[in-house]
Parts: sequence; C-alpha cells; structure tokens
Amino acid sequence: MLQPEVVQLRTEGRDEQQERRLSESEEGNNPFSFTPQIIRLHKDHELFEDGDIHRHMYLQDLYISEAEDKPALSVSEFACHISGCSGVFSALEEYEHHYNALHRHVCCSCRRSLPSARLLDIHIQEWHDSLFTILAQKQDMYQCLVEGCGQKFRTSKHRKDHLIRIHKYPPDFRFDKTKKERGRRETKRKEQKDAAMEVVDDVCESEGVCEVMCNSPSDEPEGGESMETHECEEKASTEDVLAAAQDTEGTSTPPRKPQYSYRIPNTVCFGHGSVRGFGGRRGRRK
Amino acid sequence: MWRLNKVRHKAGRPGGSLEELRLKRRENERALRQARRDRQLVSKRLLLNEDEEQLDVSMDAAPGGHDIVSLLHKLQHSGTDKEAHLKALSKVLRDPSAQLTFIKHENSMHLLVGLLTGSNAQCRLQAVRCLHELSHSSHTNVAPACLPATPYLLTYLSGPSTKFTELCLYTLGNMCPDSDVVREKLLAQGIIPALASCIENQRHNLAVVEAAAFTLSQLLQARDAPEKIIPMVLKSTLPSHLLSVLTPDPHFGLAPAIECAWCLHYLICSTEDNKELLAQGALSQCSSLLVSLGGAVTEGNKEDGIELLIWPLLRCVGNLLSSCPVEDLNAHLTDAHLPASLCALVQAYLHTLPALARETVWVLNNLTAHSTEFCSALLTLNLVPGLIQLLPFSQGINTMILRILANIAHKKKEFCVKLMQLGLLSALCATLKMADQEMVIRSLDILFMMTVSSPVVAEEFVRQGGLSLLEVLQYNGAAEMRQRSTYLLEKHLLSYQQHITVDNMPDP
Repeated sequence: MLQPEVVQLRTEGRDEQQERRLSESEEGNNPFSFTPQIIRLHKDHELFEDGDIHRHMYLQDLYISEAEDKPALSVSEFACHISGCSGVFSALEEYEHHYNALHRHVCCSCRRSLPSARLLDIHIQEWHDSLFTILAQKQDMYQCLVEGCGQKFRTSKHRKDHLIRIHKYPPDFRFDKTKKERGRRETKRKEQKDAAMEVVDDVCESEGVCEVMCNSPSDEPEGGESMETHECEEKASTEDVLAAAQDTEGTSTPPRKPQYSYRIPNTVCFGHGSVRGFGGRRGRRK
Repeated sequence: MWRLNKVRHKAGRPGGSLEELRLKRRENERALRQARRDRQLVSKRLLLNEDEEQLDVSMDAAPGGHDIVSLLHKLQHSGTDKEAHLKALSKVLRDPSAQLTFIKHENSMHLLVGLLTGSNAQCRLQAVRCLHELSHSSHTNVAPACLPATPYLLTYLSGPSTKFTELCLYTLGNMCPDSDVVREKLLAQGIIPALASCIENQRHNLAVVEAAAFTLSQLLQARDAPEKIIPMVLKSTLPSHLLSVLTPDPHFGLAPAIECAWCLHYLICSTEDNKELLAQGALSQCSSLLVSLGGAVTEGNKEDGIELLIWPLLRCVGNLLSSCPVEDLNAHLTDAHLPASLCALVQAYLHTLPALARETVWVLNNLTAHSTEFCSALLTLNLVPGLIQLLPFSQGINTMILRILANIAHKKKEFCVKLMQLGLLSALCATLKMADQEMVIRSLDILFMMTVSSPVVAEEFVRQGGLSLLEVLQYNGAAEMRQRSTYLLEKHLLSYQQHITVDNMPDP
C-alpha cells in the first residue's frame, strides 16, 4: 500500500534543505524519519467503510440525503503530557487552565503547586530559603498574602491573624498553613482523598503514581506542613474552585491509564518554580 | 432508469411512521457494516413494476406454497392466459418463502425458461420478471437454481427492448454475488464481452448503460475478482466505455455515471499498476470531473446523490496517483483547479459527511507527496490556512492534514518560512498538546523540518513559548516523543533560549 522508496528519489530537484536533513540523518542519532508517502488503499480498507455503506444503502433504496442524517464530527482531545498526570480535556482552554493551575507555579524543591506566581515566590521564600529563616529572627519578614497590602509580620501567626481580622479571610485558608500543621493536615487530606475518590475516580491512578514520585525523602526536608496544595493531590480536593472544572473532565472522559513508569528526576521541575527558586535552573540539564 | 428513492417519501405510507423508517434504516446500516467487516458486502437491486411506486414489503399473510403450485399447474396446462398467470406468479415470487417453494418444485425452472425463450413476447417479459424476482432473493441457493436461464439472458442483452434488457441485466447482476459457481458459469458463458457490446451498442440508452454498469460492479466486487475477473475486464473495451459515460447527462441524471465510477474504483483499487487505465486518460478524466463537481458543490448546487459520484471519483484519483510517476503528473492533471476543488470539497462535506472529507484529504496527501508543484500550488492559492483550521478534527482528518503540511515543509525551506507566516507554529503549539500520539509525533516531525530550515522559524517557535511544550514531552511515556523532543531541544533550540529571560517569557 505504500509507495516503494524508489519513487522518493524522483522528487524534483533536491535542494539545500533536504541535503542538510540528509546529512543529519546520516549522523545516526536523528530520530526523525518522516518522508512523504503516497498511500494506496485497497478495496476493503477501513477508510473506505463509510463510503461503501453509503453506496450500498443507495443500492438498497435506503438512500437519505445529507440534510436528514448528520453524523457527528469528532474533535481531538487534549492531554496533559506531564509524566504522572492523566488529565484529558476536550478543549484547549481547559488544558491551559489545568496546566496553569497545576503545573505552572510549581515549587522545585517540594513539588507543590501554587495558584499564582506571587504565592509561589512567598512559598519558596518562607519554606526553602535559609536566608529568610535567619532574617526572620530579627525583622518582620512574613508578607501579607493580599496583593497590594504590603504589610509584613514577625511570625506567620501574626500574619494569619491579620488576614482574618483585616482581610476577613477564613481561619482555615488553604494557602496559609504553618509548617508545623503539615503533618496533621497530610493525614487529614489523605482521608479526604479516600472519600473523594468515588467522585473523581479517573485521577486516582495518577495520584498513585504521583505519591511514588512525590513522597521521596528528599522532597520534604523541613518536616510536616501543607500550606499549599500538593501538585498531584490537588485533584482530590473537592472544595477547591478548580475541582469543579476537574470533575467535569473526569466524568466525561474515560480514564487514561498512565502506562509509563518514567520518574522525572528531582533536578527537573516544570513551571516557573525552577526559575525563581534557588534550586535547579532551566537549561542546566544533562 | 433508477429513481433516487428517498426514504422520506415513504413517510406517507400507512402503517409506517418516520421513526420506524429511521429505525429500519439504522438496522440495515448496522447489518451492512457487519457484512463489510466479514467481507460479505452485497446488495441487490429490484426493478419495480410500472404500477408500483415503491417497494411494498408488508405482504399479506403468506400466500406461499399453494399459490405457486397451482400457478405452475395452470402454466403447464392452460393454452391461453399464460401471460396473466406469469404476471400473477411474478407477484407471488416477491415473497421469500414462495421463492424457496418455487425452486424446490420439480421442473419449475425448466418451465420458466421455456416461456422465457418462447415465441410470445409478452410471456417472455413476464418470465424474465419472474426470474428477476427470484434473483433478488436473499437466500443464496436461489440464484444457482436460475442458472439454466443465464445463456438466454446473456443473448438477449443485445436485443432492442429497453425494459426487457434492463430486467435481464439486473437479474444477472443480482445473481453474481451469490456463489462462485454462478460467477464461473457466467464468465464461461461470456458475460464480459456481452456487457461490453451491450454498452457499446446501447450507448445512447442510458437506462441500459446504468444496468450494465451495475452488473459489472457486482462482478468486480467478488472476492476472486482480482485474479479471475479484472484482468479480463481490463483487456476488453469496457474501461474506455466506462470512462466515456462518466460525465453525467443533465437530463437523465447521475445514475449511469455513478455506476461507471464505482466500476472504475473497483478496477483501480484491485490493481497494483494502473498504467493501462492511465494511458486511457482515467486520471485526467476523473480529476477534471471532480473539479467541475467541486465547483457545482461550492456554488450550492448540491444535487441529491452527487456525493455518490464524488466518492468513487475521489478514490479513483487517489489510487491512480500512486501509479503515476511524478514527472508525468502534469500530463494527466491538466486542470490546475484540482487542489482548490479538493479543498472546497473538504469544507463542503466536513460536517455532513466527514468520511468523505477524510477521503478528500487523503487524495490531497497523494497529490502533494512527491510533487513540489502541487505543494507550491497549495501555498500560492492560499489553501493552507483552510487546512490549518481543520486541525481540531479527529478520526483521521487531522492526522492526514499534518501529513499534507509535512509534505509541503519537506520540499523547500522557503515553504517552511511561508508556513510559519501562515500561522503553522501556533497551530503546532496546540497540536503538541493533543492526546492523540500520532498527532504529537507528526507535529514534532514538522517542527523539526521547519526549525532546521531557518533560524527565523526556530526563534519564532521559542518566542511563542514552544520550549516548555517540548520539555514536557521529554519525560513522556512514548519513546518516539521523548527522542524527538530531546533531539530538537538539544540540537536545535537550546541555542535560542539564551535570548529568552524571565521577563520576556510569554504570559499564560
């Protein structure tokens, strides 16, 4: 069904572009192998099925004009290709939303996903910057989380009080947990997750995979606390606004099993956390 | 002549609602699909009587056996009125159980053949009508029982009576699919030369031409056709006759052209090397007809059933292109409008008949695979943006579109730059995120060709935030994706990223 290679040589005038590509492929490492091909289709090919059926319906006096019978036109789905993530989306906007929510502002050191660049900055500063810890002993370093407020506080508790009193935040605001609470919160979250599993059950598998990756000892040097949502566990939470979008994705598409076992090395981090943090830097890669 | 019997006209029938008809239609469709998967796709045609408007399948409670026996008795013994008895017999024979009773009855076929070849013309007509009803049976052992009649049916093909010839032809055509034995006998009795001279002599009589082409199409679909039937057909004058009937007659309608086009399709797709058909002008004729049909469709002239003709023509062109060396392409494809017409057909049928749109883009792939000229035509005729807009559509459409775009990128680096200017890079940034692996891999292939072609393209890709897309793919489960994205990043794109700082990284 495919044109033999001989035909390819008859292409009119090989030019510089093709020469360059040829010499590259001769190097041997080049994985690109596309060549234009004429595709021959035999009588029983599956591509011909619908047309054959249409023809035979006509022969059997069952012809229907197009206006009456509209078959559905399918649209390609999008999928998050980040290893361990099994998100599938029916529209590009949904994908972008997912990516921005979960993978964009990810902390390199602990893989937690933050909802915004600013909160990521603050997280990295407060959790992974030893200089911060030192300075915090002497000055007000804990910034108010509300953009534009500008106030700083000596401890995270002071900040929390400020957030509740002045900015009317709920006392259990997700993005302001202290490090010490993490341990308890983790177990609490795991229970929540079990309950939530029936609802969003396509992502259970990815969580399983993620747990393997994310629970490695090097991830959490500072001990238990979960101020922010864990990159992988985000999907389990049902209170989060984003979960509403996730749920529809989950129920409308069949679960995609991650068939791979590729662990992303700890030195690699997607999202801007890698640029802002003091940890890995984009570009420095083997 | 065949009327395009539309299902909706039957809505007025008592006892049949529109919903019932839709259900019946869907059931039939399902059965046809299963039959095709089993390589048993077969259809028969029933030519209705003049007084019949439509096929009335709702029969009264089985007239069955008694009627047949008594009618046969009457035919054997009564001198006069044979015609009336035959007419009654033909009506009874529409019932499947009656058909089986008939063939089990001793001497029944002998009697019928006698009347078929007798001196009474009216009796002959009614006798062939009986045979026609029998041939339409869905029981595969009925047709072989009609074999004694076939030598006569073939002889009558060169006769003058239209109605009679039509009935002979459709009867033969219905018999062909039922068994190897039947086909062997028909071939030995000379059905192919008979069909050839029938079409030749009755060229002006389009109803007969349609019937002959239908019969031929039945022969050509047989499992053993490529070995036993097609070589004989190619040696005969049939191909040139088929080609001559392709252009539809405005008064008579599409039906004869439809049958001939399907015959050509079966001939072409069953043959590896179609140089004989090419020499007879098959490619140029099919392609220019496609152009005029494409033009009609674009103007809103979507005659009912026109896709029944477009479909086989597309397949003929698509497969003929594989037999045509690229340097001869211009000799055969004289109409420069072909690429534009094909693109117009895709747009016209995308939502109503996506399978037709899919086959059209397949033809475009074959057209552009080895021809720089046609690739260039797609660019200069500004057809590429329309193709890019089709990239969301799955089930074989977008993967084929990427093939076409890859064909273009493969030819010249100037083409790559043009493709970039037409927005292909941002389209690729979307297709790289698709769930379909083939789409991602092909996108990477195109990206590679474009990146290698010019630094301008590479820079633009990086500027559009493409690096992060590739980084994600580096850790994907599929090796083909990992290898390609890593290679692209390391060999070609990382040199550009030094120009990028945090500040000018694009916002979400």
